[in-house]
Amino acid sequence: MSREPDVVQPDAVTVTVTTEIDVAEARQEARRLALRHGFGTVRAHGLATAVSELAMNLVLHTARGGQIRLTAQDAAEAAVIELVAEDDGPGIPDLARAMEDGFSTRGGLGCGLAGTRRLVDTFAITSRVGEGTRIVCLVRRP
Amino acid sequence: MHGLGQILLQNRSGVLDAWLARLRDTAPGAQPASLQLLKLELGTLVEKLTAYFLAGDGDGAGPAFKSVEEQAATISAACARDGLTPMETATLILSLKTIAGELLDRETSAKATELYRMRTALDAGVDRLALITFAAFVETREEIIKRQGRALLDLATPALPIWRHIILMPLVGVIDTQRARQVMEWLLEALAREEAHIAILDVTGVPLIDSRVALHLTKTVEAARLLGSRVIVTGISPDAAQTLVKLDVDLSSMITRGTLRAGLAEAFRLLGRHPKDPIETSL
Ligand SMILES: Nc1ncnc2c1ncn2[C@@H]1O[C@H](COP(=O)(O)OP(=O)(O)OP(=O)(O)O)[C@@H](O)[C@H]1O
Ligand SMILES: [Mg+2]
Repeated sequence: MSREPDVVQPDAVTVTVTTEIDVAEARQEARRLALRHGFGTVRAHGLATAVSELAMNLVLHTARGGQIRLTAQDAAEAAVIELVAEDDGPGIPDLARAMEDGFSTRGGLGCGLAGTRRLVDTFAITSRVGEGTRIVCLVRRP
Repeated sequence: MHGLGQILLQNRSGVLDAWLARLRDTAPGAQPASLQLLKLELGTLVEKLTAYFLAGDGDGAGPAFKSVEEQAATISAACARDGLTPMETATLILSLKTIAGELLDRETSAKATELYRMRTALDAGVDRLALITFAAFVETREEIIKRQGRALLDLATPALPIWRHIILMPLVGVIDTQRARQVMEWLLEALAREEAHIAILDVTGVPLIDSRVALHLTKTVEAARLLGSRVIVTGISPDAAQTLVKLDVDLSSMITRGTLRAGLAEAFRLLGRHPKDPIETSL
């Protein structure tokens, strides 16, 4: 019997998101990935919701959509999933305002970005007007 | 290509038999009933192809080829409906090249150059058919998918008058923008039609509630309120509830209950009556 390695190959999924159907697919992938790596159903649901928010933003706020990338890495007794949402859309002129609860330029509830930050363990957003937006989140277990 | 037409004319039943034998190989899963139909359609195709070669010089133009094309499209639509894969369908059409090619080698005493011209015309004709078939196949599939989508949309959102003044709308599946709009429309319509005071919107079958779905729910609740009705949302799962708290969406405008049963109890409470009231049991 060989010993289980402490770190195995990352488990990665990429979904190109341009329409609402892609959003549904991305969050299904997220949920499956989380369950596959030992996350509980609440955490899996939270991750799927974060993916849903970021993916829906790609559909609503960019002309050509973008990509959702999910990468899971297992370690001994732990796992981490990285969620990257990236687009080359219009960018966000005022990041601080966009992160506020209730701010929306499209008549939404405006809690997508702020809510996502609360759903994940680490949240980072970079955006350049005219170049695009990139959001990186981490979700950890245990 | 009169010569090619003649050869096909004299051997049409042989060609058709060979083709049908291939059909059974390419699509082993096809139902006998659909095989029967395909057999007829393939027979017609052989006839039209023969007429085309008899009539012209095989350049793929003119009304005779148009009629061949239409027949190929019919066949491919039948294949798509019967669940054959695009690969199987294309293979079926392309196999005519081999069958008729072998026939040519066997049956003609023509010179090599003549034989070569016939084969080229045959190949060109069948290749075009395969392309047409493929396009028609994709079209049929897309049409089927669209129809299924519409059917699902219709099926998934019944508004049930479960009690006097109470309707129940169980939502099942993903709520995208189009569905959300439809749910709202139907709910308001049903409220008016049934003269209902209360709608119970059960979301047990909705896999995930994000801020967009929450927005649609809120709008529906507000619109119902304008009609003088209340909406009770039931079936939010414990997982979803914990997520909604983190998202911090404002659901204060709506009444929510964990289970349908609790939702019903709340509905009766709002109506100020007990489910065992005589007037209700007589309904
Ligand atoms: N990928 C993006 N590209 C450009 N702008 C974006 C992007 N994501 C978000 N924004 C901007 O940030 C604002 C806030 O986003 P957030 O997701 O919080 O709210 P929303 O999408 O408007 O509404 P909700 O998510 O509640 O339905 C958006 O209204 C939009 O102007
Ligand atoms: Mg959003």
